[in-house]
Amino acid sequence: MGSDDWLTFKRDEFKRWMEDDRRRTGLSRAVAAYTSAKANALSRLPELEDMRREVRKIKEQSIQHMDELVKITMDSVREVKGEAYFARDAEEAREIVSGLVGSGKLVVKSKSLTGDEVGINEALEERENRVYETDLGEFIIQLRKEKPTHIINPSVHVPREEVAKTFSELLGKPVSPEIPALVGIARDYLREKFCNADVGITGANVVSAKTGTIFIVENEGNARFVSNAPPKHICLTGIEKIVPTLSDAFRLLQVLPPYATGVFMSAYVSMITGPSKTADIEKTIVYGAHGPKELHLVLLDNGRRSMADEEAFREALYCIRCGGCMYECPVYRVIGGAFGNNYFGGIGLIWSAFTTGDEKVAAAVDACTKCGRCKEVCPLEIDTPRMVERLKQRLVKKGFVQPKHEEIMKSILEKGNPFGEDERANRLSRG
Amino acid sequence: MPDSILYWKGCMSRLRTKSISDSTMELFRRMGIRFETLGESEGCCGSVLLRTGQLEAAKKTAESTVDRISSAGFTEVVTSCPGCFRTMASEYPVILGGAPFRVRHVSQFLVERKSILKDRLGSVDLKACYHDPCHLGRHMGVYEEPRELIRMVPGLELFEMRDNRSKALCCGSGGGVRSAYPELSREVAKTAARDQVPAGVKLLVTACPFCNYNFKDACSGQIRVIDLPELLLSAWRADLNGER
Ligand code: SF4
Repeated sequence: MGSDDWLTFKRDEFKRWMEDDRRRTGLSRAVAAYTSAKANALSRLPELEDMRREVRKIKEQSIQHMDELVKITMDSVREVKGEAYFARDAEEAREIVSGLVGSGKLVVKSKSLTGDEVGINEALEERENRVYETDLGEFIIQLRKEKPTHIINPSVHVPREEVAKTFSELLGKPVSPEIPALVGIARDYLREKFCNADVGITGANVVSAKTGTIFIVENEGNARFVSNAPPKHICLTGIEKIVPTLSDAFRLLQVLPPYATGVFMSAYVSMITGPSKTADIEKTIVYGAHGPKELHLVLLDNGRRSMADEEAFREALYCIRCGGCMYECPVYRVIGGAFGNNYFGGIGLIWSAFTTGDEKVAAAVDACTKCGRCKEVCPLEIDTPRMVERLKQRLVKKGFVQPKHEEIMKSILEKGNPFGEDERANRLSRG
Repeated sequence: MPDSILYWKGCMSRLRTKSISDSTMELFRRMGIRFETLGESEGCCGSVLLRTGQLEAAKKTAESTVDRISSAGFTEVVTSCPGCFRTMASEYPVILGGAPFRVRHVSQFLVERKSILKDRLGSVDLKACYHDPCHLGRHMGVYEEPRELIRMVPGLELFEMRDNRSKALCCGSGGGVRSAYPELSREVAKTAARDQVPAGVKLLVTACPFCNYNFKDACSGQIRVIDLPELLLSAWRADLNGER
């Protein structure tokens, strides 16, 4: 990148979003649906108030003991005959996963931000694998060759009319923009892929260390297929997802769905502890009954330990990725997926900077007004605006300064105001 | 001096939204409040620098500001701008270890003297709504004082924006966004005014020069925007309905 590229490409991206009525329509429909569903769920679940505070404590404890929990998790997974790996960075993660998949394979995936973070699809496709996203939103943007714009609803910016266009191209025949019909098309198209896939790749919402259990929360049922139908299941997830015990995980699981989509509980929570097995014939254990014969858990660092090491940013690791703060953010409502890089909204600025580097997100940091609304709506009360201010300080030291901000700074130091005005003409007023 | 308060205009109402500082001073005079300003040497509180990551410059600016205020002998500072208020009241203690004067936002200061305003404000026939500035509300917990003052205007019916108080939507101009991405700031303000103001409300009351400036700029023709002291002064002058 050239010296100002960090700025110009984002400015263009913001502009494209602001001028794109199609995206703005999709986004505002989603915001309206989300906010009313969440308000309803929260008013009917007063017990969430205590629970979210407990979850905050669980996360604080877990992050404090993150390294230890990684070790316990890996031991537990191995004990139940799964395989466990630790990936220090994105490259290591790609190598591990690519090695496990091989080449020329049919791969089905359920939505994984961690997968996007390390660029898993690109790595697999390079090795001539065919990769299918199976979460409807991810499927849509994969077909459209776009990038996700929300962590829970990646295609939130694509309204039904546009989905119909995309599916018409896929099937080579006209498709009507009715939402149920569009869902049906994806179901029919992907069903065969699930059954014939060689490998299924998922992320995880929580991992409980002591039992080595992977939790996957979803509503569509695609993650069940992905983690169950193919003979090999690879789960790639960040080390911050680990909590000590099953009960800790259950606590978190109760807080996540109402804040994520405004439901009491998501339709499906898969708990996976080791590969599929049976001992029904002569009590002899055989792996790979109806579910996968192999289970591989890849635990990713990629900046998470540095986040934990810095007091100023540790809180970002408490995020349970409900996505609520994005829909509630006034800036996200206008520039959507451009407000961040691989993660979005205020919290996404921190996550993007630590996982994929400063350069791609530095300009978006200056789009945050630090208004603090995200902290207000966050179930864990994560102080994102404070972290964004700290991140900005760090970026300034590295040279990511908006020319306009530098001008203002100079004007303040020289003239006492940000506008570059000479004030000697101002009279002294007295009352 | 010392028996006067220091009215700290802040850069925005000193140089851009002058009608806010002019109205505030006129209101103070009418209320018999003794005040002074620092005039041309007021300078900057450092808020913008803090928000844009320029910590060293912010500290330097804050230090010299504390110096100017306290060497002039002021012990009471009243600000128009919630950003100045927050910075001096809650961030100077962190970056400078404190400041030797008390700082309040004009809404807090006025509410304590509302008996003076009583029976002075002319009656209007207006539906208005109040926008909570982030620095004043969420960051400093001041929600009710401005509302109390607005409700003192006889005949003014106060409505709430759909999201208000701790959930209020930012106008989009804070944090250095307005200078880095003016279009984005305007778009945020426009969206907020469009989605949040109840039908039939024609007047948006702000309590922050930055919000005021941004809403005015983004929503001209959409809604009339007025800052709190401007509203009170207009009501006192009984020219609110005619004011533009
Ligand atoms: S920061 Fe809080 S509100 Fe935002 S996604 Fe994370 S947990 Fe949810």
